[in-house]
Amino acid sequence: MTLETFAFLLASGLVLGGLYALMASGLAVVWTTLGVFNFAHGAMIALGAYIAWQVTQYTTGGAGFLLGAGVSVAIMFCLGFAMHYVLVKPFELHANLVLLAVITTLAAASIMENAILLSWGPRDKQIAPPFTGNIEFLGTAIGIHDFVILAIALAALLALALFLRRTTAGRALRAVAQNREAAELMGFNVSRLVAMTIGLSAATAALAGVFVGSLRFISPTVGTDPLMKSLIVVILGGVTRFTSPIYAAFIVGLAEAFSAYFLVLYWAPAVLFAMMIIVLLIKPEGLFGRRTRTL
Amino acid sequence: MSAPLLELRGLSGGYPPVSVFRGVDMTVGNNEAVGLFGPNGHGKTTLLKTVAGLIDPRDGDIFFAGERLNTEGKMRPRTSRHLNYDLFRRRRISAESVVRQGLIYVMQGNLLFPEMTVEEVLDIAPQAARGRGGAAQMRDLVDAVFPRLRERWHSKIRFLSGGERQMVSIAAGLLALPRLLILDEPTLGLSPKLRIELCEAIAKIRAENVPLIVVDQNVEFLTSLVDRLYLFDHGAITREIDGSAMPSHEEVMTMMFGEAH
Ligand SMILES: Nc1ncnc2c1ncn2[C@@H]1O[C@H](COP(=O)(O)OP(=O)(O)OP(=O)(O)O)[C@@H](O)[C@H]1O
Ligand SMILES: [Mg+2]
Repeated sequence: MTLETFAFLLASGLVLGGLYALMASGLAVVWTTLGVFNFAHGAMIALGAYIAWQVTQYTTGGAGFLLGAGVSVAIMFCLGFAMHYVLVKPFELHANLVLLAVITTLAAASIMENAILLSWGPRDKQIAPPFTGNIEFLGTAIGIHDFVILAIALAALLALALFLRRTTAGRALRAVAQNREAAELMGFNVSRLVAMTIGLSAATAALAGVFVGSLRFISPTVGTDPLMKSLIVVILGGVTRFTSPIYAAFIVGLAEAFSAYFLVLYWAPAVLFAMMIIVLLIKPEGLFGRRTRTL
Repeated sequence: MSAPLLELRGLSGGYPPVSVFRGVDMTVGNNEAVGLFGPNGHGKTTLLKTVAGLIDPRDGDIFFAGERLNTEGKMRPRTSRHLNYDLFRRRRISAESVVRQGLIYVMQGNLLFPEMTVEEVLDIAPQAARGRGGAAQMRDLVDAVFPRLRERWHSKIRFLSGGERQMVSIAAGLLALPRLLILDEPTLGLSPKLRIELCEAIAKIRAENVPLIVVDQNVEFLTSLVDRLYLFDHGAITREIDGSAMPSHEEVMTMMFGEAH
């Protein structure tokens, strides 16, 4: 392997890692707060991408791309917020909340994907990457767009982490995730905070969707594959800290890029699943996890 | 006499379908400290959780500062096993609005938020105090009563000892600017030395005229602290003892379990 190939694989692995980190932390935030896996996360990625694509039809170039991302993130935040009251809250007192949430989020995924199909049709779309041109990276030309995506993804994660750690509102979200009853006794509106958590998760999904949509083509099921990868990331990394799925995301991204080169492309998922099974056998709580789930 | 600060009228409740306490009448006057004493597992915590709004009362009323905290009437029984009845059911009381009124319950053995630091917990604690004044004085009181917390300021709750965790719980309750503070077994499971430290802290809080309801298994501590003592047995209040005639541990035991306890 030449240095150029290595640099190319490294760059694409890092970009993938940034995307998976965005999606996985969105999943992990909901998982730690509600104890529920959100199967609609993939459909949210797709919907986020389509909304941004629609915006770029009216405004083009870098401004259109950023505006599209902004609009998409805002709309998806509101949708996620509302989803709590429709999909989770009605069953909160039910003994089988987890099972019911599997069904309601799967239903929401299916509804969203079909709504996309009805509104935008079956033909694939692509969000035009606004930042053209290459830069030299270890002797290889890498698209500026890739770097912009990685930078925005990391900035968004940093902003989310700072919000959760430093602001009173973010600390309240973590309080709800760690001890719901104690949070109630502090006078927090727990339902609204949980809804906000799902909203934030949907917003990160939208951002990831915009990026995926500018790297590949968008179809109603564009979120399915990233959803599966982020599930692997969450299981691989554990969810003890906000950062644990992020490290795991970069491991998965790099593993995918390099295994696609050394083996055949179609073997990449198998390699990831093998990694996941080995980690599960040795350290069931994840590479960076402890047994408890927290935020 | 002016209206009491807290008044429970015929309050019943439990964990449906199990009934834990029934027909509880209890008052706490303005600027009064009241003790609740009773055997383990007889429903004191359940009663106080109901007052705090975590559990719906089955029957009876809770008045705080002249306002009813629960919706009127009895809890209706579950009418269908098949419909998602929870979808239509309204909670009869909400912890959020109870806390906003200034009725602060410090839970028994409160684990708080294991991954948050002392500083973070005390930062979000004043949330419930919205609109009530006196935050600066309360911060000074907390610093004076629990100097130890400053030493553990950046430790996570999960690394604290039981006593320190209890201190954070009470400090968080104080920062919510309580008009009535309920302490549920604040000295449970502590070493003798820490117990004394915590009892002194609670006495200091009382000296600042914070109205209290205190549950404790130590009669001497309770009688030295409170103005009135309720004896609680098998989910009901069996006796009310006035401040002038505070009994000793032996006398309380005889009252509750008869001569041959
Ligand atoms: N979440 C729950 N669900 C069902 N039953 C419960 C629950 N919590 C407590 N109980 C039962 O309610 C009864 C009263 O318990 P509670 O904790 O109120 O007693 P307590 O007087 O506070 O005891 P202690 O002095 O040990 O704190 C007990 O029999 C207990 O088993
Ligand atoms: Mg108790």
